[in-house]
Amino acid sequence: MAGIIKVQFFGLLRRRVRTDALDVEGGDVSVLTLLRRAEAGAGRIFLDELMDREKELLGGTIILVNGENIRLKQGLEARVRAGDSVALFSPAGGG
Amino acid sequence: MSGWVGRIVEVDLSSRERNTVAVSEETRRRFLGGRGLGVKLYTDLCPDPIDPLGADNALIFMTGPLTGTTMTSGRYQVVSRSPLTGTICDSSSGGTFGAALKGAGIDGLIVRGRAEKPVYLAVQDGEVEVRDASAVWGLDTQKAQKAVQAEISSKASVACIGPAGENGVLFAAVMNDKDRAAGRGGMGAVMGSKNLKAVAASGNKPVAIADPAGYKDLTARLDRIVDKNPVTGKSLQVLGTSVLVNIINAHGMFPTENFRRGVFNDAEGTSGEKIAETLLERPSACYKCPIGCGRTTRTRTKRGEGPEYETVWAFGANLGISDLTAIAEANYACNELGLDTITMGGTLGCAMELCETGAWKENFRWGDSGRLLEWVTGTAYRRGVGAELALGSKRLAAKYGRPELAMQVKGLEIPAYDPRGAQGMALSYATSNRGGCHMRAYMIAPEILGHPVFLDRFSTAGKAELVALFQDVSAVVDSAVLCRFLQFAVGISTFAEMLRTVTGLDWSDEELMTVGRRVYTLERLYNNRAGFGRADDTLPPRFFNEELQTGSSRHRRVGLEAMLVDYYAVRGWDLRGVPQPQTLAELGL
Repeated sequence: MAGIIKVQFFGLLRRRVRTDALDVEGGDVSVLTLLRRAEAGAGRIFLDELMDREKELLGGTIILVNGENIRLKQGLEARVRAGDSVALFSPAGGG
Repeated sequence: MSGWVGRIVEVDLSSRERNTVAVSEETRRRFLGGRGLGVKLYTDLCPDPIDPLGADNALIFMTGPLTGTTMTSGRYQVVSRSPLTGTICDSSSGGTFGAALKGAGIDGLIVRGRAEKPVYLAVQDGEVEVRDASAVWGLDTQKAQKAVQAEISSKASVACIGPAGENGVLFAAVMNDKDRAAGRGGMGAVMGSKNLKAVAASGNKPVAIADPAGYKDLTARLDRIVDKNPVTGKSLQVLGTSVLVNIINAHGMFPTENFRRGVFNDAEGTSGEKIAETLLERPSACYKCPIGCGRTTRTRTKRGEGPEYETVWAFGANLGISDLTAIAEANYACNELGLDTITMGGTLGCAMELCETGAWKENFRWGDSGRLLEWVTGTAYRRGVGAELALGSKRLAAKYGRPELAMQVKGLEIPAYDPRGAQGMALSYATSNRGGCHMRAYMIAPEILGHPVFLDRFSTAGKAELVALFQDVSAVVDSAVLCRFLQFAVGISTFAEMLRTVTGLDWSDEELMTVGRRVYTLERLYNNRAGFGRADDTLPPRFFNEELQTGSSRHRRVGLEAMLVDYYAVRGWDLRGVPQPQTLAELGL
C-alpha cells in the first residue's frame, strides 16, 4: 500500500541536500529505490555520499530503518514500507 | 638519538633537587613514550599504591617519539595514580604543549615532593627551573597561562591548573594552550597537592628524524590519506565531534537523565549540525594537525573552546538540558576553573537523581540550566554543595546511601554512550584500566560507525578479542604519541612506519601490538596491587537490571559475564582478573 516514508538527513549529507527531512511516496520498496526517489524529490544529487558506483555502501555510511541498521538486514535491498522512518548519516566520527 | 630527545628530568619540589633519568633504548623500544613510558617510570618509582595527593606521589608529564613531528602530535600524557579512582591513570591532552616540551629539550618531566609555597616550572634548553608562583596561584587557567607567559616568553606553551586543582577537587584537570585539557582522573588535583601551579615550556629544538626522505614521503602520503578520508578530511572539521549527538541518539543509546533513558528528545538542538549553524566561530586545530576538530565558539556574551561531544552530552542530555548557550558557557567555565567536564556532568546527573528520589535533600532538578554555572563554580571552590560535588559521583552517591545511582566504573564517570546499546563498549568500560572511559577501546567505531568494519552492536560474540585488540592499539597510539582520530584513517602498520622513519628503530606490526599489550598489562598489575580485580570489572547495576524503554536500543541490557570470562582468557589473566605468570613472561614483565 502506498503512503509516506520519512527520510531524514544528518551530518554532512544534510548540508549537501539542504534539508533535514523529506517525505517520500512509497509502498513496499527497497532502500535503494527509496533513496533514488528521495534524490529526485530533493532535486539534489547525494547518493554518491552514501554508496559507490557498484551500489555498495561506503564504509562508515549509516542507514537506519526505524532505528535498525540495514547492514544487519539485506543492505540496500532491505524493504521499506509506508509509515517507516529512514535516517541517513554520511561517514562521521568523534570521541 | 632520533624521535626522542633523550632527556627526562626529575624534580623534587620538597628539596628542589633535579636529576636526569636515564632510559635505555631497550626500555624505549618496549614502552615507546607517553602513556607507556610514563606508566613504566611511574610504577618503578611508586610500585606500591600510595596516597595520590601525598608528597611521595609522582606526577609525570610525558611526550612520545612522534610528539612534535607533523604527524598530528603536539600531544602529551599526564601519568600518576588517580585521586578520584585509586587506579593508575594517564590523561591525554592536545594543543602544542607536548611539542613545546620537546622543543624545550626534554621528553618528559617527573615531579615529586611538595613545594612549601606555590611554584611553577620553567623548561628551557633542557633545564628545569623552579620559580615562585605566589602571584599566579588563585588565577583561573586563562589568566594563569598569560601571567606565566608574561614572565617566561609570550611563545611559551603553558600547562596549568585552575582553582579546582588548587582546591583538591578530585576531578581537576590540567589545562594547556588555553582550553586543551588533560581532563580525566584528577591529574590537576595531584598537581595542586604539590603546590605546582604550572609548567611552562619554550624552545625550538627540532625533533631529530632518522630517515628524512622516508619521513617526507610518509607525511605527504599521510596528508593525502587524512584529507581523502571522509571522517578526518571533512566531517570532524566541519561538524566537530558533536556530529555524534544525532547518531548516538538515533541508536537509542544517548544517555539521558543519568542513563535512565537512551533517547533525548531535544538532541537535535544540541547537535554538531546545530552548533555549526549557531555557536561556531571557526574550527581549531592542535599542533600542525590537518584535521582541526576543535570548536572555537561564541555565545552572546562569551567566547571559548567547545563544547565537544562529551561535554554537549554531560551538561545536556545527561541533565535534561537543551539550552546550547548554557552548555557552552558551563564548558567555558570548566576550562577556566580546570574541571573535567565528563565527571562534572556525571556527578551533577547523579545529584539530580539523588534529589529526585529524596535521598539527598537539595535542589538539583533536571533541566535546570540556570544554575549550571553556580554548581560548576561552587565545585571548583568547594563552596556549599560544591564541596560534595567535588568528590565525584561515587563518593556522593555512597554518602547518601544510593551507590547504585553513580554511573561510574572504578570511580570514573561513564561517558556519552549507554552500554546497553553496544555490548563491546560495555566490556570496554568494565575492563578499562582507568575506569569508565571510552578511550581505552573505542568500540563505538565498529559497533556504530562501521570503522574499520561493521559489527552487530547487540551481539556479545567475539567482542572480548576485539576489545583487547582495541585496548592494545590505543595504548600504542597513546605511547607514540598520536591523536586518536588518526585511527579513523590509518592502522597499526602505518604507526609502525611512522615510528621507523622518525626513530630509525623497527617494530613489526606484531611487535608493536605487543608493546600495547605490555602497557595494558603493566597498568593492570598496578591496579591489582591497588586492590582492583574481577569484582571491579563491572558496571552500575542499572545496565544489568533495567531495560531501556524507548528508542532503537529498547529492551536491551548488558550481558557482561560471558564476555568478561572470554576477555580474561584472551588477555592471559586468571579468573580473578590477575595476569598469569606465563603472560608476564611473554611480555617481559
